[in-house]
Amino acid sequence: MIGTSQAEVGAPGLTQLLVAGIGEMVLSRDPRSILVAYGLGSCVALSAWDPISGAGALAHFMLPGGPVAGSVGGPPVKTIEGGLGIFLDAFVRQGGQLRRAQFKAAGGAAMLALLSGGLEIGRRNGEALISGLESRGLRLLARDLGGGAGRTVQLEVGTGRLLVKSVSTVATL
Amino acid sequence: MLTLSPVEESILQRTFALGLMQAGLALAGMTGQEIIVASPDVRRCTPAEVIAMAGGADRVVVGIYLGITGSLSGHALLMLPPDGARDLARILLEGVGEEMPDADEPVDPTRPFELDPLSMSALMEVGNVTISAFLNELGMHLHEPVMPTVPQVVVEMAGAILDTVLVDLSMDSDQVLAARAVFIRGYNAIEGALLILPRAESVATLLSALGVNG
Repeated sequence: MIGTSQAEVGAPGLTQLLVAGIGEMVLSRDPRSILVAYGLGSCVALSAWDPISGAGALAHFMLPGGPVAGSVGGPPVKTIEGGLGIFLDAFVRQGGQLRRAQFKAAGGAAMLALLSGGLEIGRRNGEALISGLESRGLRLLARDLGGGAGRTVQLEVGTGRLLVKSVSTVATL
Repeated sequence: MLTLSPVEESILQRTFALGLMQAGLALAGMTGQEIIVASPDVRRCTPAEVIAMAGGADRVVVGIYLGITGSLSGHALLMLPPDGARDLARILLEGVGEEMPDADEPVDPTRPFELDPLSMSALMEVGNVTISAFLNELGMHLHEPVMPTVPQVVVEMAGAILDTVLVDLSMDSDQVLAARAVFIRGYNAIEGALLILPRAESVATLLSALGVNG
């Protein structure tokens, strides 16, 4: 699938960085992997981590829903509505089990005050993510949503820790 | 969905490249600095590619955002490295009579970068002049005026500034038309990127104004 990368077994001891670009997702079961989504503004990142199998996944969603024009070749997880199921299926194929998985989310900030609707989309992304998970009987273990600052998130596949960095702060979820 | 024929693409490339050149000239004129307009790049691409064109998602930049309204609508973003932005503001404010608050203060690397209100307003003017020069060039082909909105200056990760804009454009298209130029100032090689992102329907308007029919 375009925009989806999976970890391959590399040299022992080396940390492997897998980046989920805007509208993309990354997955790994390699404990040395770190899954990253850089510079989230109104976008939201969802991480899934299975403490037993060690499978980890990170999605970088752009929009809550809406019409998706010609998604062939487009970003695979552009919308939460269309992409959440794709993300969860990929996580299960990677060895993750949804019932015991830990879900964490960050992002959904309000960035450009002048852009009409720009302030809304971050909040709506957060809400769509929570309700999308709820409708599947899943819920977030931790979240860092909203606010006015951009975020970079990193999921450590070895530990399940989600690191959230902004220009001025660092937090671990 | 944004689809372009090779002819349409090359006409847009030429038109946008001229606009980007005018924007660079305006910036040079305003600051009295020699500005090189490099790597003009105009193409249809995915949101992830736009972020790559801007120099990567997690780089902290000073972003000067202006919306574009009128017969052409979309977004314009001038992104400068923090030190370069501060330098540029200082050049513009020289002789204004105001003491620059941090001119000789050592920079504490643990503190996040901040701009004082005076520098912010100088940078807004940089955005205004630069984007207006670009729009004037494009406006010559259009029969109705094209105007920038009031500028907004933010210090943020490039990806975080861009994604709100990309989200707005991606509601009706998976691909966007992006025009970018890199501004290089003198020997310091302070680089800034100017990014213009028109709406899909505005691309069609512009093409017909340029005399290209579908």
